[in-house]
Amino acid sequence: MDSESRSVNPGVVALKPETITAFLVLLSAVLMMLVMKLLNPTFGSIEQIAAILTTSIFLVVASYGQGLVILLGGIDLSIGVVMSIAGMMIAGLTNGSNEALIWALPVTLLSCIAIGLVNGLGVAFLKIPPFIMTLAVGTAFFGVALGMTAGSSQRTVAPALQVLMSARISGIPIPIVLICGFLIAGSLLQGRTATGRKLYAIGSSIAAARVVGLPIEALTVAAYAMSGLCASFAGMLLAGYSSSATLDMGDPFLMPTIAAVVIGGARVTGGKGLYFGTFAGAIFLSSLSTIITVLSLSQGWRNIIQGGIIIIALILQTKQWYLFSMVNRRLTGKRPLYSVLPQNSESQL
Amino acid sequence: MRRFQWCLTVAVVFTLISSDNRLYGQGDQKYKVFLDMSYSGNTWQAAAANGIKALAATPPYDKTIEFKTIISGTDVQKQISDIQSMVAAGAKAIILYPLSPTALNRVIQQACNKGVLVFTYDSTVTEPLAYNVSNITARYGSNTAQWMVNKLGGKGEIIFNHGVAGTAVTKTYDEQAYAIFRKYPGIKIVGDFYGNWNDATSQEEVSKILAAHPNVDGIWTVDGTYGSLQAVIKNRPDRLVVIAGQSNNGYRLMMADPALQPKGLQGISSSAGPAVGGYAFKVMMEVLLGKKKLTGHNVEYPLPWVEAKDVKVCSGDRFENGCNVFPEGKVPPLFLDTSLDPKFLPELSLDAVQTGNPTPGATIQPLPEPKYAENLPGINCQECKAPADALEPNLVAPIPVPK
Amino acid sequence: MNQATREKGRPLPSSAFAGLLCLAMLAIYLLKTPSAITLAGITDLLNNTVVLALAASGLTLVILAAELDLSSVGVIAVSNVIVATLSTKLPSGAFISLTLVCLVGLTAGLVNGWLVAFLELQSLACTLGTMIVCQGIALLILEAPGGEVDGFIMNRLTDTVFGVIPAAGLILGLVVTGWLLFRRTRLGIAIYAVGTDSVASRLTGLNVKGTKLIVFALAGAAYGLAGYMLSAQTGTGDPRVSNSFLLYVFAAVAIGGTSLGGGRGGIIGSVVGAGILTVMQKLLFALGVAEFYTNIFNGVIMVVAILFGNLSAIVALRQRVITGRHKNSQYARQ
Repeated sequence: MDSESRSVNPGVVALKPETITAFLVLLSAVLMMLVMKLLNPTFGSIEQIAAILTTSIFLVVASYGQGLVILLGGIDLSIGVVMSIAGMMIAGLTNGSNEALIWALPVTLLSCIAIGLVNGLGVAFLKIPPFIMTLAVGTAFFGVALGMTAGSSQRTVAPALQVLMSARISGIPIPIVLICGFLIAGSLLQGRTATGRKLYAIGSSIAAARVVGLPIEALTVAAYAMSGLCASFAGMLLAGYSSSATLDMGDPFLMPTIAAVVIGGARVTGGKGLYFGTFAGAIFLSSLSTIITVLSLSQGWRNIIQGGIIIIALILQTKQWYLFSMVNRRLTGKRPLYSVLPQNSESQL
Repeated sequence: MRRFQWCLTVAVVFTLISSDNRLYGQGDQKYKVFLDMSYSGNTWQAAAANGIKALAATPPYDKTIEFKTIISGTDVQKQISDIQSMVAAGAKAIILYPLSPTALNRVIQQACNKGVLVFTYDSTVTEPLAYNVSNITARYGSNTAQWMVNKLGGKGEIIFNHGVAGTAVTKTYDEQAYAIFRKYPGIKIVGDFYGNWNDATSQEEVSKILAAHPNVDGIWTVDGTYGSLQAVIKNRPDRLVVIAGQSNNGYRLMMADPALQPKGLQGISSSAGPAVGGYAFKVMMEVLLGKKKLTGHNVEYPLPWVEAKDVKVCSGDRFENGCNVFPEGKVPPLFLDTSLDPKFLPELSLDAVQTGNPTPGATIQPLPEPKYAENLPGINCQECKAPADALEPNLVAPIPVPK
Repeated sequence: MNQATREKGRPLPSSAFAGLLCLAMLAIYLLKTPSAITLAGITDLLNNTVVLALAASGLTLVILAAELDLSSVGVIAVSNVIVATLSTKLPSGAFISLTLVCLVGLTAGLVNGWLVAFLELQSLACTLGTMIVCQGIALLILEAPGGEVDGFIMNRLTDTVFGVIPAAGLILGLVVTGWLLFRRTRLGIAIYAVGTDSVASRLTGLNVKGTKLIVFALAGAAYGLAGYMLSAQTGTGDPRVSNSFLLYVFAAVAIGGTSLGGGRGGIIGSVVGAGILTVMQKLLFALGVAEFYTNIFNGVIMVVAILFGNLSAIVALRQRVITGRHKNSQYARQ
């Protein structure tokens, strides 16, 4: 420890590596857009950026729940179905009237939380692997919804929801304001509250958490319930955005929520990851899909580019850990603690 | 613990064996007819299935057949397995929505060789022994593209909304539309995306492209039309577009809305409608009961074609007196007006296509002679050639290329 | 302290319960559908199972090593379209396309393995990426369903050999035999070790990275083979990947008793799990379950099957504790 010859800058060390990751992901999103703008001058106008941010709200909200669950070392594969169910419920229950929102909103939220609870109970108490439990629950509830609605689209969504998604406050579309608010609230909830920290603890080492006496089962159930809640928010927003609802409208979002969480720096085995990272991952994926659209290629090339960029993003993200630890070591003379801990590769999926 | 598991297994097995086995009819002479759906959970599929179920329960068919619906899901091997199960269970006729034009050929051939009548609706198969009922041969791509070009006067910027990639339908329609657009150098496709027949996705993508190309004049879609138009209305309400696409109720109402037309909205409502399912079912039943003999295996269902001037709001629950759209609020905006067909399917009412219940008091009406479809290699036939003008429109006369 | 009490009998591996469940479901199905108790019926059943079983076998290897692999459906799609486009155009097309798809699968697996083992990416995310890339490649090779599969593949591989044994059954038998031999080799044992505790394995001198690389490569080859058999089943190529099939592959592995955390399980269980999922479809049909209930039943049966498997693991643990001296390897592997 060379504290005489070097002055330690606490600011750099205090910054978590995950925050750097998140910033880098956001930076790559911005870089991608800049490159596209050079190639294609009509790309990247304020209007388009606003459109990109507005349409990313569904992923931003749904990925929060997925992030919480992945933090525990689990996964939630029912998010797509829950989003669709929430959209169908809010459309069917409000049927074009704003007054009905007062009771339709809580009913929808509670139903989706209930689905999340089923997930959590199965994972926590029956010890069923989260992959299978959430898959089974999603499939089963899709069947329930199919039986009740025969899949036909529901009535008109309450106008208030539609206005929420399309109106602006002093020029800024409301969804963008919502995203910022959600980002702040979500980050605080995950990173700064006691409950949030307990989730990190459980994800890092379940054995240690048990020794310390954390209520593992209760927190697991809560995390999955939260995921159901976020998915229902996302579903309702989607219904408001498209002024309609169908039973398959949530399907395109499941894989992207997983990708957003992982690109944002979280570990699938649990214990690491900031919501800011997931948020950055969601924005990154939204920008990526827009760029791919603008390139006007056939679907085959679109897939190849999309898959390739996901892999590149992952590579950069892993390599920058080495970069950061090197930088950190130069500045402080200390080896960062996390590089000597063994990689706990035991997945609880 | 292990003994408990054994007991549990035995108990479950016993319960299942003794369950009611309705599949093997108690000696009725009813024909066993199956509806095999693959995709489920979207408006189109639900309306088609409901129409077929309602018809199956309408007299006299409700006494003639024992009708059952199976959902195979989106895995083609499950559909193969289900068709084998249906044949093994004694099916006389199967009407299905095939997941692939070619993958089911062998199992369908086996079924037909055992005397089972196999009909497909909307999506087709290339197996020569099967019967296809669809309007895929009605040249949707060419006709709508030409209609758009005519309305645009041969020049303008267009957004192209593809359907689901990797399907025969998307390949065919895209090919036809591109062929027409390419003939007019003044037409520029400034953006294209894969809307996957999904309105929310279409709305998102059109908003993003519109933001980059504020002077878009037209949008070509197969489905997701309502969403595409919503994107324009929400982002550029004073200057709307020329648009071709589906027959959602909300879309038709917007097309005919006198407040929107002065802003430049010109729409054509076409695209495959769920009523093709009911029509295919009726044709199949007529063949099964010996009332009709088909001379060809590919039947063409007419392409819906409604322009703004043709839109007429209905006052009741049925499409009668030439009306073809329901007033706002009576049905959801995504409801497909082409679920009902007053000409071929007078037995269906609004309630029937929304719930699958038969219309009280209706009886099955006979169908006129069917129109047979042209060849589309890879779509409805294997060793065949498409007609020479397969890419030309046959509903719309083309305008000359502007100088 | 030598052996305290004689073991009361080795507890069954978790795949045994899956096997029980499968046999029970099969029995009910055959009782309900007497017309299926024919060689043709059994052949059909095996044909319906073989693709899922092969894919699940490949995935099992990866999961045993405590990694995940989402790329199975992508490789299957690419293999399928390659067979559909080339097998009728080349001489002895059946054999050449077989080698080609195995090579393609191997390559995809090597890429996955390199990314996961050497670049240390998270397997869930990077195999998601490779799956998307593979789907893109499949769409580039064949943009809509079509193509033609060589007659040998399409007819002989779905038929019976010597008129008695279904070809699909023979292939599965080969896979199972291969596994029984493989798991006793050094590599087989290494996979279990890596899956149980990769740090400890590394410290004892095992080449963890090499093992993972090989595991992904073998899985890729298995997927290629699965795609080849899919071409045999459907007789055509289709560039689309089925997301529901991907989830079935994972479900087959989990139901078969393989722990998704690694280190426990085996291919036999996964093949049985694939059998359960296939028979379940047939069984629900035979029982006359109304259409939308099938989804609910699918979900419930998956959970029940896992519960059965879990109970067996608890039983195994308890017996291990009771009998004192135990032979680790026999409990972990099946």
